Amino acid sequence: MRGFKLALCFGIFLLMSSCYSIRFQVDNGQWEPADTEREDAYAGYNVHTLDTVVSRKLTTGDHYFNISDCPSGALHTVEYRSSFGGILLNAITFGRKKKVKIKYVCIKENSM
Amino acid sequence: MATTTIQDRTRWDTLHKNGPFPLKFFLTTKLEKNSSGLNDFEKYNDAAAEIQKLIKQAADSHQRFRAIGSKWSMSNIAHAEDRMHFNSFMNLKFPIFEGEMHEDSTYEHSNLFLFQCGNQIKEISRFLERRGKSLKTSGASNGQTIAGCISTGVHGSTIDVGSVQDYVVGLNLIVGPRPKDVIYLERASKPALRDTYIQNFQARIIRDDDTFNAALVGLGSMGFIHGVVIEAENLYLLHRFVKKIDKARALELADTLDFSGFDPQIPGADFNGVRPFHYKVFTNPYSDEDKYPVEFIYKIKYYENYKADFGNPIPFQKEFVYLDLIYLFIKIAEKLPKSIPKLINLLKSSILPKEEKTTVGKLSEIFWDAGYQGRAFACSFGVDHTHSSKALELLAKLTRDNPVPGIFAMRFIKKSEATLAFSRFPFTCMVEIDGIQWSDKEKIISLQEYSKKMIEVLKDNNIPFTIHWGKNAAWDFPGLVEHMFGEDVKKWKKVREELLTVPMQEVFSAPFLDTTKLSEPLPNTEDLIV
Repeated sequence: MRGFKLALCFGIFLLMSSCYSIRFQVDNGQWEPADTEREDAYAGYNVHTLDTVVSRKLTTGDHYFNISDCPSGALHTVEYRSSFGGILLNAITFGRKKKVKIKYVCIKENSM
Repeated sequence: MATTTIQDRTRWDTLHKNGPFPLKFFLTTKLEKNSSGLNDFEKYNDAAAEIQKLIKQAADSHQRFRAIGSKWSMSNIAHAEDRMHFNSFMNLKFPIFEGEMHEDSTYEHSNLFLFQCGNQIKEISRFLERRGKSLKTSGASNGQTIAGCISTGVHGSTIDVGSVQDYVVGLNLIVGPRPKDVIYLERASKPALRDTYIQNFQARIIRDDDTFNAALVGLGSMGFIHGVVIEAENLYLLHRFVKKIDKARALELADTLDFSGFDPQIPGADFNGVRPFHYKVFTNPYSDEDKYPVEFIYKIKYYENYKADFGNPIPFQKEFVYLDLIYLFIKIAEKLPKSIPKLINLLKSSILPKEEKTTVGKLSEIFWDAGYQGRAFACSFGVDHTHSSKALELLAKLTRDNPVPGIFAMRFIKKSEATLAFSRFPFTCMVEIDGIQWSDKEKIISLQEYSKKMIEVLKDNNIPFTIHWGKNAAWDFPGLVEHMFGEDVKKWKKVREELLTVPMQEVFSAPFLDTTKLSEPLPNTEDLIV
């Protein structure tokens, strides 16, 4: 019973830690602003979201997504989010389907 | 053509959620595309025409029109109930060349730049740095627009420089829909730009010190600020160090600003007897500690390789207190106000600056991106620096008697020439409390009542004061603005009535102006002696 509880705790810990986000940003660029009611770290930022499932073929290697909604042609922030659901999907499809959730903020046009 | 999108809205809020406030229309103007082939002057004038069209639409609808930038103010100064105009995408930039200078100008042309209203401090700094220049000062962070900064008096703690508006040398205002309503304003005593250059902006020129000084801190109500000419300076470095010093010594330095006999004892540097560029004292009102954390920043000569000597001033990895944890603390505080001192003491390592190694960087690197973007309040009072310790003592005692979740800081700024600048003392000490918002419905004193008591305690103790226009206050306190600014209120109103027609005075009014009675016309202009 004690072993089961430990395993359960470990499993919950894995579940929790498998859900995280990592954010990269340039330190010297002006973010594209937006008037929103956000209260998080993106308050005042114009945030774009890419949320999709990529199907991988046997012969397919890397994936590239073209970002075409940045008028400045430059990115300020990219955030990659990993979730338990995404990992599970990848596992049960033997790596053929991959959940991709990315947030990004463009550099403000004419600010460079 | 510049294009404006108009959204129907029911409400609008500040960045730190100090509202919400009712709103009908939210307007966003974007410049003509770069692919249009228009040069920057043509794009600028095209945007001016668009703004004049929007002003006319507002006037024809008997509605108010107000420009906003990054909405960092916590008071409702940026709010208008009818039409709010988001100008952050209007960000053209013009260096000034030698042949464009006024013949009597004393400015160095390479230090002058014209920025369109929506340029944010961070992008301005980037633009200047690529030309070997820097702003003279900024606020504690970098997200505000240049027009927003000067309209509300954004400041740092640069003792001998002043606030952002104090390095502005010219203003391009749009005060109505007529061609003659595009105005270029500068001081007669310190002209900057040649008339033929100003003609590029199709602007009527007014050179007058009183008019310029009144429009400088215009509270968003002197028309639409379309462009701002600023004086920059050569790049410099800032040497930042935080250390705890004896409370009595920190307060003595605040009251005297005399650093001649003071040695900050910063490792690896000798600033003995040197007056710092920036001096800031932090205090936790709920702590009895006999030392205060103090931020000393000294200005040093710029050199390229400073990062090799001091490391990168911008952290590679940033960590923040979990926002929900802060909100949880506030929920506890709302139910149990007596727990506030303990909660603040628990959080102090996250909210007070740590004693740490020297940081050296450019202005834009030392005053970098803001960390906390959630719900916040701030009350900020300006007093003559000789009253710093007394004002802090009174306000801290008031706060201990009526606990609110915040900590105090003191910053120091040189007197401004702007008519309604809150930095109106020879050296103004801004005594400010910053913290997290709480619910007025709970057991803590309401923010309105707390800020009213702050005014009362300073008045009762005969300490002359001002209040930061962009911060929380009991702005409806009877006679508040007259108490703070005296006859200068009439001077400011007089200029506003000269620049704006009567219908335009209403278009460029706002609830904040109504509350402070600044939108009320002068009784009889002819009888005024100002």
